[in-house]
Amino acid sequence: MNKRYLLLAVIVVLLGAGMLFMPNSNDNKQVNPELLLTAIDDPSRFLTTDDITDRLVKKDPALLLLDVRPAAQFKSFSIPGSVNLPVDSLLSAASMEMLKQDAKDKVFCSNSDVTADQAWIISKRLGLKRIYVMQGGINQWFNTIVKATKPAESASSKTLELYQFRVAACQHFYGSPEMAAAPKPEPRKTVTVIKKASEAASGGGC
Amino acid sequence: MVGPLIPMGVIPEAWNNVIALMLGAGFGFTLEASGFSSSRKIMGTFFGYDFVVLRVFFTAAVTAMTGIIYFDYMGWMDASMLYINPYYVMSAIVGGIIMGLGFALGGFCPGTSFCGVAIGKIDALFFTIGLFLGVFIFSELYPLFDKLYNGQDMGGAKIYDLLGMRQNVFAFLLIVAAVGMFYFAGFVEKKVKKVEY
Repeated sequence: MNKRYLLLAVIVVLLGAGMLFMPNSNDNKQVNPELLLTAIDDPSRFLTTDDITDRLVKKDPALLLLDVRPAAQFKSFSIPGSVNLPVDSLLSAASMEMLKQDAKDKVFCSNSDVTADQAWIISKRLGLKRIYVMQGGINQWFNTIVKATKPAESASSKTLELYQFRVAACQHFYGSPEMAAAPKPEPRKTVTVIKKASEAASGGGC
Repeated sequence: MVGPLIPMGVIPEAWNNVIALMLGAGFGFTLEASGFSSSRKIMGTFFGYDFVVLRVFFTAAVTAMTGIIYFDYMGWMDASMLYINPYYVMSAIVGGIIMGLGFALGGFCPGTSFCGVAIGKIDALFFTIGLFLGVFIFSELYPLFDKLYNGQDMGGAKIYDLLGMRQNVFAFLLIVAAVGMFYFAGFVEKKVKKVEY
């Protein structure tokens, strides 16, 4: 056999053997960089705090508000109805299960919108759909909804309506507006289980 | 051209046909230079005196496959962006049988027949006439074949997915099979009486 052919055959078999040690190319499937760039430029991923609040009040089943702050911060204050999903456990199997629900709008929120945007980019690169960021984050939510400032009397009716909506929403979450300044979580009711007294053994039966 | 360069805007759209023409001319030249414009060369595969067709096709497949897998691994290209021809099961089988019959009867495949015409082969000329007749008949009777032609679409099916194999394991096995076939083909060629053409 021709020596050149033998050499080529050996090279191609070696290259083939090299493939066996490669990771599966499907493992790191990501969104095309160009699509990601256009998506980053597109501001439609930002939802306003008023929009989110409206959907929270209406108990929209398609809304999944995800709080990406660490668990400790989530415990001290969180938006009622939000779910804690710390950004460092975003890629865990349980979180991915939550994020892969195609029928829901997944909205990330954090103190500002920086961490939420990071979570958004990670999710976008993984090709997840219907993901959004709450603009301004929880700070913005607190300032606009909980500490809603009363507009001047001469303000437009639209602004007044928005203010009334915010006050109403705050009352929906925390009761009266006076309490809203320092929303205290209700003390947990401790449920004491009262065991049923065991019935006297029926003697004899029927 | 379906390659990523034109849709991504690296090469302007207007160059599409020019590049296609240049690629076609290069392909034709290579076919002619390697002797594919002779029907005897192709018939050698069926009679066992010349396995160059088998060698060329498997070398091309193995080279392209190895290149794509390594380039994808290095991140130089994105294999998931490649266009994969959809797989229509019945039309692939029926078309394969018709194509194979024509191949064995005429000694040309569509590409090589045009190479043959270009260098003035009479048999190639008749083959291409038959080819256009076939195209004409198919187009005129298309409503009859529509169901067969478009039925059982499996999309861009991949053989290793259907076999439940890892892509790279399949690639390695294909390379080993190709090298084995090359060796076997050389062995048969030595046994069979040489045909001069």
